[in-house]
Amino acid sequence: MDAFKAVFWSFFGVRKKAEYDKDAKQLTPQAVIAAGLVSAAVFVLVLFGIVKLVTR
Amino acid sequence: MSAATHAQDHGHHDDHAHHPTGLKRWLFTTNHKDIGTLYLWFSLTMFFMGGVMALLLRAELFQPGLQLINPEFFNSLTTVHGLVMVFGAIMPAWVGFANWLIPMQIGAADMAFPRMNNWSFWLVVPAAILLVASFFVPGGAAASGWTLYPPLIIQQGISIDMTILAVHILGASSIMGSINIITTILNLRAPGMTLMKMPLFVWTWLITAYLLIAVMPVLAGAVTMLLTDRHFGTSFFNAAGGGDPTMFMHIFWFFGHPEVYIMILPAFGVVSAIIPAFARKPLFGYASMVYATASIAILSFIVWGHHMFTVGMPAAGNLFFMYATMLIAVPTGVKIFNWIATMWQGSMTFETPMLFSIGFICLFTIGGFSGLVLAITPVDITLHNTYYVVAHFHYVLVSGALFTLFAGAYFWIPKFTGKMYNESLGKLHFWLSVIGFNIAFFPQHFLGLAGMPRRIPDYALQFAEWNMWSTIGAFIFGFSQLLFLYNMIECIRSNRKAADNPWEGADTLEWTHLPSPAPYHSFETAPVVK
Repeated sequence: MDAFKAVFWSFFGVRKKAEYDKDAKQLTPQAVIAAGLVSAAVFVLVLFGIVKLVTR
Repeated sequence: MSAATHAQDHGHHDDHAHHPTGLKRWLFTTNHKDIGTLYLWFSLTMFFMGGVMALLLRAELFQPGLQLINPEFFNSLTTVHGLVMVFGAIMPAWVGFANWLIPMQIGAADMAFPRMNNWSFWLVVPAAILLVASFFVPGGAAASGWTLYPPLIIQQGISIDMTILAVHILGASSIMGSINIITTILNLRAPGMTLMKMPLFVWTWLITAYLLIAVMPVLAGAVTMLLTDRHFGTSFFNAAGGGDPTMFMHIFWFFGHPEVYIMILPAFGVVSAIIPAFARKPLFGYASMVYATASIAILSFIVWGHHMFTVGMPAAGNLFFMYATMLIAVPTGVKIFNWIATMWQGSMTFETPMLFSIGFICLFTIGGFSGLVLAITPVDITLHNTYYVVAHFHYVLVSGALFTLFAGAYFWIPKFTGKMYNESLGKLHFWLSVIGFNIAFFPQHFLGLAGMPRRIPDYALQFAEWNMWSTIGAFIFGFSQLLFLYNMIECIRSNRKAADNPWEGADTLEWTHLPSPAPYHSFETAPVVK
């Protein structure tokens, strides 16, 4: 869950220093990459959902 | 960012630098600095070749009517100018910087696969020869635009096969280079150099290398299908045989859009090194820069359709690509914000590398905004294939990639050669470039908005005035690049000794731990990074 949070904030591009330090200590690169790929897929699906909604 | 504990012994054992001399040194070299130098000179040569092609195009467009060259040759020049600049100038130049800098910035002795490194470079030379030689074969060079769209490309002569082969070779070289870079970064970092302590140039190249490995095989697949359509009776892209030319466009742009980021991400890394050095402040938001680079890389795979709004897609497809493209502005905006925040209240000085970096921020932002305009599907439908698009991607790639290449060259040339370049000449180069560039390309926005199509040798009279200005600007820009060449050669031959760290604010390993010029083998003993 922490990995997903980190990926979300990284997309926005802003992260509190304390939170970032916590991430840097706790998260493994594997977890971040996995969360990143899943988040990218979710991102595509959300966009697709919005498109479906407006073209209905 | 990377404070190291042990000062490296500056008295490097240069007697270790046994290597053949003369031509053999360059042919057989496995040294990352030699190979970096080869890449940089190669790309500069190709840059001037592509530049001459561009000036021929602009000379023809100086006035309406056909004056200097015939339309077929004009189309060939347009195509090969694009291919040479993308594959021959910008990409190899970044690989040159990667070769020079990555081992020094992570505290390694050399690249992970030195022999493959040599092979990666020497592959690009025959590819370049194939591209340039294709002008001299019957039918002339490829004339379909750098996108190589069928069915046009299926109809032309042997030059297309030469172009396809060149693209294949360049792709193989890029993939080998990428494997080398990834392995070097992941395995050869000095003790203590954790991933999140790496300089941003190393980070951006790591991500770029993954992008290259992901998309180069896609391009190779696309051009192989073109080849079999041309010679082996397949019909992948031939509607008469049941194929579909639009499929090529999808495959090409699935490669083509990440390719834009392949050319621009290392630029972000260079600017992230230069701005803190001349603002004398650490980079603002280092971690968010890394994250933003990764986000841009992932998003670059899901926006390719914005190159094809007029091709014919379902409305849902158009909308998807429009939304995705607009969202890519978020991480890019974060980067621009971070660079400006780095400069905020810094003790700034404006040496040539800083000037080119600030020029990059201003002009790349204009290119980004015109990209947002083009991302809006209904707007793109009117602007597609007009000069507005030409203006947009030159703002992105010239002021994005090229300006930062100049910035990087001026910034690191003291480390590369141990000599200092001529600052006044560097500043003159910057100002002539920025003025010439804007005169050349800003009016192209107006031309595009007024409806002038791109890739045409002749045009209607109402476009005459801005075309004249554009050509004048292009010639100012083009000829001012000779100043760069002169400045670099003069620097190499001069006696102006550069200090080990001539830039007050530069704090990466190559500045803090290595003398100028950097020794043939950078780090015989890995430094320990705190």
